[in-house]
Amino acid sequence: MDEVEEVKKKPSYMSEHKFLLLIAYSIIVSLILVGISLEIYNESGAAQLDLSRPGYRSVQSKAITNDNELQTYPSTGTVTLSTVQQFEAIYNKESQQVTNIDAYGGDPLNPDALEISTPTTDQ
Amino acid sequence: MKLHIRIPVIIIAFAIALSPLFVLQVNAQEATLSDDQLAAIRSNCSSTTNTLNQLHSNDALLRVNQGQLYESILTKLIQPFDERVSHTSFSTSDLKSIETNYGQALNSFRTDYQTYEQQLSSALNVNCSKQPQQFYGSIDQARTDRNIVHADIVQLNADATDYQAALKAFEQNYDPTAASTGDTN
Repeated sequence: MDEVEEVKKKPSYMSEHKFLLLIAYSIIVSLILVGISLEIYNESGAAQLDLSRPGYRSVQSKAITNDNELQTYPSTGTVTLSTVQQFEAIYNKESQQVTNIDAYGGDPLNPDALEISTPTTDQ
Repeated sequence: MKLHIRIPVIIIAFAIALSPLFVLQVNAQEATLSDDQLAAIRSNCSSTTNTLNQLHSNDALLRVNQGQLYESILTKLIQPFDERVSHTSFSTSDLKSIETNYGQALNSFRTDYQTYEQQLSSALNVNCSKQPQQFYGSIDQARTDRNIVHADIVQLNADATDYQAALKAFEQNYDPTAASTGDTN
């Protein structure tokens, strides 16, 4: 009878290593969550806008951080010829800032530009 | 299977199932390079990598600065103005249609730039001394992706110019009797 009670009281593996298992599970879960977070960071496009990444430090200081110069145009109010002309002046000034730049133009990845010659392609 | 064994097994299986998502695939185009060309890639490996790193960071800066300007033009100017005009009796179909096109072009720019950046990053992760052929294929794909980004920019600029023209037409055809609105500024 005493023997039976002794067997019953013997702690299980789980209860014996409860704390270690808790730490192990916590580490595994946190690694998975970090992986998922990194995936979201990469796939959401946030990584492409993050100039604090190591490779981007040389240009970080050149980023426009003050975007408050351009005020949001009021979406309510009368529409007179004068307001249209005023808006047009603001719009033309702002749009010229982007249309004057041929962003991503040129062909810097051309093999000739990179001094790696053109291959014969197997298709 | 006991619970203390089952849980880690499930977690590990889950992690393995997700692992392909974390691996950046290198889309190397099948290309045959001559020995001379492979040698050229190997010998210029260091300078090419430096050039690509420089391009990578400059393009990222351009994405941040230009992207911000394109976004501001849409959200701070075009959308509020169109909304304001829509409260009146003026016809806004031209302005609205350009607004929609501009928004779509901006979305394309965002996603296409992301694709390009990921491709260029994966090209930079290829060891050009040891895998020149794969390196070449990755660069070639990044070049194609960059051209798509440029096409998006051309489209955005065209939409911005179209909106400018639509505004001019709106101004020229301005009819004061249609300006009635219940709102005040």
